[in-house]
Amino acid sequence: MIIREVRELTGGVAVKAMILKEFRELRRDKRTMGMLIALPILLLVIFGYAANFNVEEIPTAVVGDNAEQYEDQLPDLFVVEPGIDADASAQDLLKDNVVDVAIDTSSQPAQVYIDGSSIFAAQSAEAGFSQAPDGMVDVEVLYNPDLTTAWVMVPALIGLILAFIGTVITSIGLVKERQNGTIEQLAVMPLKSSQVIMGKIVPYFILAAIDMIIVTVLGVWLFDVPFVGNVGLFAIGGAIFLFVVLGLGVLISTASQTQGQAIQMAMMLVMPQILLSGFIFPLDAMPAGVAWIGYILPLTYFVEISQGIMLRGADLTSLGLDFGVLILMALVIFTAAVLRFRRDLAPSARHMGGSK
Amino acid sequence: MPEPLIHASGVTRTFGDFTAVDDANLTVKPGEIVGLLGANGAGKTTLIRMILGLLPVSEGSVHLFGDSPSRTTRSRLGYVPQGLGLWDSLTPRENLDFIDQAFGVADTPLPEALEHLRRVPVGQIGLGNQRQLAFAAALGHNPELLVLDEPTSGVDPLSRARLWDTIHDKADAGVGVLVTTHYMQEAQQCDWLVLMSGGREVGAGSEADIVGDTTALNVDTGDWPSAFATLTDAGFLVSLAGTQVRVIGAERDAVREALGGGDSVNVSSARATLDEFMAVKERARQQA
Repeated sequence: MIIREVRELTGGVAVKAMILKEFRELRRDKRTMGMLIALPILLLVIFGYAANFNVEEIPTAVVGDNAEQYEDQLPDLFVVEPGIDADASAQDLLKDNVVDVAIDTSSQPAQVYIDGSSIFAAQSAEAGFSQAPDGMVDVEVLYNPDLTTAWVMVPALIGLILAFIGTVITSIGLVKERQNGTIEQLAVMPLKSSQVIMGKIVPYFILAAIDMIIVTVLGVWLFDVPFVGNVGLFAIGGAIFLFVVLGLGVLISTASQTQGQAIQMAMMLVMPQILLSGFIFPLDAMPAGVAWIGYILPLTYFVEISQGIMLRGADLTSLGLDFGVLILMALVIFTAAVLRFRRDLAPSARHMGGSK
Repeated sequence: MPEPLIHASGVTRTFGDFTAVDDANLTVKPGEIVGLLGANGAGKTTLIRMILGLLPVSEGSVHLFGDSPSRTTRSRLGYVPQGLGLWDSLTPRENLDFIDQAFGVADTPLPEALEHLRRVPVGQIGLGNQRQLAFAAALGHNPELLVLDEPTSGVDPLSRARLWDTIHDKADAGVGVLVTTHYMQEAQQCDWLVLMSGGREVGAGSEADIVGDTTALNVDTGDWPSAFATLTDAGFLVSLAGTQVRVIGAERDAVREALGGGDSVNVSSARATLDEFMAVKERARQQA
């Protein structure tokens, strides 16, 4: 019988062995390698282009009797949106988020309204009008007169917190069943797939909804953020957004074997939403090559809804597109998530009773 | 003749180019304990997952209670998976309550041995106790069939004997049992055995049926460690029963020759055990 001699390794050899083992493991862990190599390059390129506070074009409307005369005198920063009726209400155009600046030329001096909920555009617009000759325009910032950052950030942060809880916590909770092997036990029990899915998702929905209430109330209370719109409409928007992010959480769980993998994937989905959904860097200021990513992220639309309802008192008419996109996302993502989760619980019955 | 509770015929499962189960056949009748034997990777768990309908078959057919595996047919069986299928952060009582509610039954009693652990999360109790709990959970709805995937793995001999008492009690009451195991002593407690190797069924019947005329050689020598080392180095399939060296699947003369052919070595023939038969089959498969 050969007995192999066990020698004490020198420090260097032991560390070398550890390093080699670690690299071998990493080489086979494609997700981590992706995060280590591809993600930093991707993040630098995307966020490098996205990180721009300078608004170079401000969507503007000029209404009233002397509209044409004022349009001609506007600096290049203000881009007049085509097709706006000269008789439209300047304040309504702002409330409906059609433009960031609306100029009513019916009075002398002309009344300029700036949307304070688009904080960077508002800052640029204020600076632009400060150079106008005295007595030519009277400037008023609506919805956020002091251009307080917290007023704009808090409604958006509600969405970000929901996205984080919905995506990360849900995916971890569901993957835990797979990792512990209890998903197989659930599959063997006389429970319908829909019952299991509902049973798994409803608690997260309730907890996230409670979180939404707490964060909203705290945000309004601590930061004096106004809530001028319809609370019910805000709640409906929040619920639809929750369906989207919970659906993403379920989808991630179906593609992950471990909780670590689920967290990795969830972070990859949440991180772009922080920087590309328009609440830190304005989407209008991003090059089109990057901005399109923002337009496929659900948080972008929830930010529009929450800022619109809380700050501008926007109604369903002006937020119709944002609600529509979120509903579509909820339907597609949630359906895909349920179908994939169901596949894990109840495999296809084909061949089960078939003969050879 | 009662209808089989499980009838699997010509079942095959492939994953890409890999065939995990190849043309397996298995029947479990009421009151019968059927042992599914085989080494790791033999295809036992894959076959069980197909029987339960958790994995579609690539070829062949599976019938549970005379029907395709479904939510309805599965509700008539109790299943203890290899991982036990318990929720670690719940207490034993909470686990039983949830499983009871899912099966529509009430108050499955907590095993007496677990009474003092009723408030402790399952993840913090010993494996033996966890297995007892998993058994209690599987039996709570009075199933007609028990499917147990290595139910006694990692359990001390006393707890193992207790679990087998329960299995026999249930079988005596008419419950069919399909059990996979690594332990050949446990195989002897089964009414019918199916032995798998490399995804294929390599034997079925009683232990005697499966082993057939396969023999092992007892090697009696004063220096058993040396004999063991010499025969192993010579490539024989060697095992130890105490200090008795046994060689499986070899010719007597070849063994004597490998040991130097001296008079001090006595080689006699004996019937192979199930373990030894399995080792022969595994080696043949690996060599093929």
